[in-house]
Amino acid sequence: MIGLATFLGVLALLGFGAWWVVALDELVSGRMAGRPLGRIAVRPLQRAAALLAQQQNETERPDLLNWKLAPALYLALAGVGLAVVPFAPGAVLFDREVGIVLWGAVEALTVVVVFLHGWSANSQLAMIGAYRYVAIGLPVMLLSMFLLIAAALPAESLSVPAVVESQRGLWNVLRQPLGLPLFLLLGLSLTLRGPFNYADASDLAGGTSVEVSGASRLVWEIARLAMLVAFAAMASSVFLGGYLGPWLPGPVWLVVKTAVLLALLVTLAHAFARLSPSRMLTLLWTVLMPLAFIDLILAGVEALA
Amino acid sequence: MSGIDLAFYALSILAIARGWRVFATDSMVRASFLLLLSFIAVGLIMLLLAAPYLGVATVFMMAVEMMVMALFMVMFMMNPAGLNPMMMVHQHRFSLAAGAVAFVGLAAITLVTEFPVDPVAAGKPVIRDLGTELLGNSMLIFESAGVTLLATMVGSVILSSRSGRFGAADAGSKPPPLVPGGEPAGRVPEEGGGHHHHDHGHSQGDEHQHNPSHGHGQTHGNDGQRGGCHEH
Repeated sequence: MIGLATFLGVLALLGFGAWWVVALDELVSGRMAGRPLGRIAVRPLQRAAALLAQQQNETERPDLLNWKLAPALYLALAGVGLAVVPFAPGAVLFDREVGIVLWGAVEALTVVVVFLHGWSANSQLAMIGAYRYVAIGLPVMLLSMFLLIAAALPAESLSVPAVVESQRGLWNVLRQPLGLPLFLLLGLSLTLRGPFNYADASDLAGGTSVEVSGASRLVWEIARLAMLVAFAAMASSVFLGGYLGPWLPGPVWLVVKTAVLLALLVTLAHAFARLSPSRMLTLLWTVLMPLAFIDLILAGVEALA
Repeated sequence: MSGIDLAFYALSILAIARGWRVFATDSMVRASFLLLLSFIAVGLIMLLLAAPYLGVATVFMMAVEMMVMALFMVMFMMNPAGLNPMMMVHQHRFSLAAGAVAFVGLAAITLVTEFPVDPVAAGKPVIRDLGTELLGNSMLIFESAGVTLLATMVGSVILSSRSGRFGAADAGSKPPPLVPGGEPAGRVPEEGGGHHHHDHGHSQGDEHQHNPSHGHGQTHGNDGQRGGCHEH
């Protein structure tokens, strides 16, 4: 019974979260540009309907299987990612003890799927986007794993519910102040957003999805949004105490924290510009990665003390 | 036959079939990700065998590893971006013999060995036990293997990357021809830096201060181009 409720909760959160992110996108970019906002709640649905009615593009000799499957796999990975997040004590779809590792697998497979999406189109700009994304996406993923291991140390467990329970006294965002800010980069990278959009960027005329239109494009865009929702739910569980909170029931707290993190992520994506890939690589390996090491060392020292 | 048995057989068939396709495909990228599918099936089998950490970690590690492998293979090969069809197998006779010996050997071992029937008790802290084993009694083996692998990776990248400490790694090497017995594939760099002095003042710019009368026998020994002595 709890399993079914959690399953429906996961689906509802993915759907409404995706809509919420598009509305936020309109809101934030409109505010920054001083544009009248208009009907931001309806516009995402209109755009989806337009994409659904659009012709599906074809390329010359693509790897058709991978090209058509990549958007669906991306969306499926978002679902698997959200499956490790507990909505309340006991209400988690993947209840094995290795939720953090499964989340890591989702991150790694996302890099693979985004790469295949660009590679299989047999198109120049899409392929550049794919290779560029691997170069940036892998170090960001590596970095995030150090942060997650640091967060798992006080819980002495790799299960996400245990990590949430370990924050009853103090949330990880305060206990490990480096954790959440660095982890947010992963959210932008996993969903090809803002300063970490190296796969589908406008400087490559759309990158991996330059040749993708119609329903495939719609699924791809929904998958990016759903992955951001899954990421925000994971981040709020690992660093903001997840379902913990006074007065309100657990799932409501999780949704509230997820929504706040989504607003923060969308704002960051609009406020920061993309660096050239080589500068970003230098920044990642020489500055951000050592910061993640420091985060892990501090967590280890605290665990020993 | 229980659901777990069914899942085991389905995943085994998937793992073997994808493993076979690795050798039948014509692209390095496809080969890498077919191998990844095979490993994912093996990882799921480990989940069935009550080894959740090893199973999920296999999926995780192999996803990263196959991605890096595809990237590095394309980077270090002469097949731009990995989309061109290419033969993925070589040394056919030796491989056939080695494969047959390995298959017969492993099959014989599975047939003659008495495997223990030792189900994992429910509630046994398997992940904690594994961690204690890896970082307890087996730590020396585990860590030496890790450091050895790292050293191998660094060494092979240093040996195979073009910009080496002792000069370009591909100095004197020739790419294979596209057709048997043909010209080497790819662009051949022009001898002596590819300069043409037939049109002074236009192609060279102003930095050489050429005599507009095209002095015969004039040399450009000082412009950084080896073998740059041309007569006009």
